[in-house]
Amino acid sequence: MVEAREFLIESLSRRMTPPQSAWLQRTAEQVRTSRDEPAQAFATLISLASRHVPRGAWAPNADERAQAGRIQIGFEPERWSLLDAARAVLVLSRSDLDTPGVVAALEECFRYADVGELVSLYRTLALLPGQERFAWRAGEGCRTSMGSVFEAVACDSALPVRVFDDRAWRQMVIKALFVEAPLWRVFGLDTRLDAELARMALDLADERRSAGRPVRHELWLCLGRHGGERGLAALEREISQASPLSRRAAGIALARAGATENLARHLSAERDPTVRATLERALAGRVDAAAFRDLNPTTTG
Amino acid sequence: MRFFDPHIHMTSRTTDDLEAMSKAGVRAVIEPAFWLGQPRTQVGAFVDYFSSLVGWERFRASQFGIAHYCAIGLNSKEANNEGLAREVLELIPRFAFKEGVVAIGEIGYDEITAAEERAYQSQLAFAVEHDMVVMVHSPHRDKKNGIVRSIAVAREQKLAMHKLVIDHNNEETIEAVLEAGAWAAFTIYPHTKMGSERMVEIVKRYGPERIIVDSSADWGVSDPLSVPKTARLMLERGVDPKWVELTTWKNALDAYGQSGQIDVEALGREAVVDQTQSFADNSVLRGQAPRVDRGVPN
Repeated sequence: MVEAREFLIESLSRRMTPPQSAWLQRTAEQVRTSRDEPAQAFATLISLASRHVPRGAWAPNADERAQAGRIQIGFEPERWSLLDAARAVLVLSRSDLDTPGVVAALEECFRYADVGELVSLYRTLALLPGQERFAWRAGEGCRTSMGSVFEAVACDSALPVRVFDDRAWRQMVIKALFVEAPLWRVFGLDTRLDAELARMALDLADERRSAGRPVRHELWLCLGRHGGERGLAALEREISQASPLSRRAAGIALARAGATENLARHLSAERDPTVRATLERALAGRVDAAAFRDLNPTTTG
Repeated sequence: MRFFDPHIHMTSRTTDDLEAMSKAGVRAVIEPAFWLGQPRTQVGAFVDYFSSLVGWERFRASQFGIAHYCAIGLNSKEANNEGLAREVLELIPRFAFKEGVVAIGEIGYDEITAAEERAYQSQLAFAVEHDMVVMVHSPHRDKKNGIVRSIAVAREQKLAMHKLVIDHNNEETIEAVLEAGAWAAFTIYPHTKMGSERMVEIVKRYGPERIIVDSSADWGVSDPLSVPKTARLMLERGVDPKWVELTTWKNALDAYGQSGQIDVEALGREAVVDQTQSFADNSVLRGQAPRVDRGVPN
C-alpha cells in the first residue's frame, strides 16, 4: 500500500504544477495523521480533489504501467485519470485501511459520490487490503447503469476475480457483453470460465439470433473449453457467416475450445486476408483473452 | 383506436409525452414501481416515490385524459441492499391498498441473487395473502433461466397463474410463460428488448391469447408511443383488428382488472380533461390556458 501510494504520488508530481502537487501532498499527510475524523470530512476531501487536480488522463507510460503491475497484480492504470490517481492517494493515505472502520468511511464516500468519484473509488478498491470486505460494494457497482462506473469495477482490476462468488462473477461477465465493456480487459477471465457461464453466453447468443441481432464477438470468449457440442455448433454457425469480425472471433474461440481440426478446415476455405491472419495466429496458439484485443476496432493499446 | 400501456414509468416522462400519448389514443397506463437509474440510499426516498405514484403522477396523467394506475413493490436491483430492502418491504402494506394500485410490481430477479429471491418471495406471499396480481420484471442477463425460476417460485408461493404477468419476454421465453398459464407481456423498447416488427411476428405466430404489449418507457432511450405504433404496424401487416385490440387494450384490462381497481366502463367513455383542477395546489400548467372538456379521441 505504501508502495502504491508513493508510486502514485511520484507519477502524479511529474504531471502536475508545484501548487497542485503541494496540495495533494499536504492533504495526503493530513489524512495520514488524522484520527477519529468524521467520515464526512474525508468524503469532502475526495470531492475537493477535483478543484486541485488537473482534468485529463493520467496516461502512464510503459514503464509506469509495468511498475503498477508489479506493485499490485492486475493493476492496469492505462485508462485512469489524474483525478482517479489523486483520489487513490488520499484513500491509501488513511491509517485505518486494515480496520473495519475504513469500510464505513468509504461507504460514506460512495453514498454521496458523483460519477467521477464513483469511478475513482471503485478503481481504488482494487488497491486496498482485505478486498473481500468490498465484495458487496463492488457488486453494487456492477448494478450501475453507467458504463464508466461498470468498467471501473469490471475492467483492469483484479478485485472481481479475487472476491466475487461464482454468481456475481458470471453476472458481471455477461453484463460486460450487454454494456459493450471490453471483455478482454476483465482481469483473470480465463481463470474463471465454467460450464454455467458458457451456458449463459450461449443462451444470450440464441436470444440475439432470435431477435435478428448480431452476436457481440466477445461473447465467444466466455466459452473456453466449456461450450460442449452446443458451443461448437454455435461457433460453426458464426464462423460460416458474413462478418469478418465474427469469423475472426469464432476462429479464436474454436482454438480455445481445442477444436483445431475444425479451425484448420475453415482456414483453408477462408479468403479474407485479415481473417486468415487471425485464424493462423489462433492455430499457432494465440488464444488468450488478449487475442481479442486485436479484434476490437477501438483498441489503442 | 384506444390503447392501454400497462407498463410505463411516467415519472421520467414530460408533458410533451403525455400530450403525444393522449393524441395517439393511449387512454390508460400502469406505472410499476422500479428503480430510478441509480440506487436510493434511504427509505424516505421510497416513501416519496411511492407517494408520487399514487398522487402526483396520477393527477398529472389525468390532466391529459389518461387514467393512471400503478403497481407497488421493491424492485430486484435495490433488493440487494438488504438493510434498506427490509425497511422498504415494511412500507409495501402502507401503499399496496391505495386506490388505483392494480398489482404488486415490478418485482422478480435482476442478477438472480439470494437477496433478490427473498424480496421476491416475501412480496409474492403478500400478494397471495391479499389476492393481488403480480407484475414480474424479467432479467436482462440469463433471461430465460430467470423467467423459468420466477414462475417456479410464484408457484411455490401458491400464486394463481392467472394472477401472474411476466414482462419483457422475447422469442426465447414466450413458450415457457404461456405454457405455465401466466400472462406474457412484451416490452417494445429500442435496442435492448423487442422491436415492433418482431412483435408483429410473435402475435401472428402465437395468436393474441394472454399476450400484452407495453412500452416500459422510462429514463432510457425509449418510446412512450410504442404501443400505438406497434398496433398500427400489426394492422398494416394484416393482423386481425380483434387481435390488435386484445394485445394492446383488452388483455391488459383483463389481467390487471382482476384487482377490481379499474373502472372499465369509465375507460370506455370518452375522456374528459379538466386542466383547471390542481393537486395540492400544483397545476401542470405554467401560465398556459387550461384545456377544459376537450374529449380525447378514442
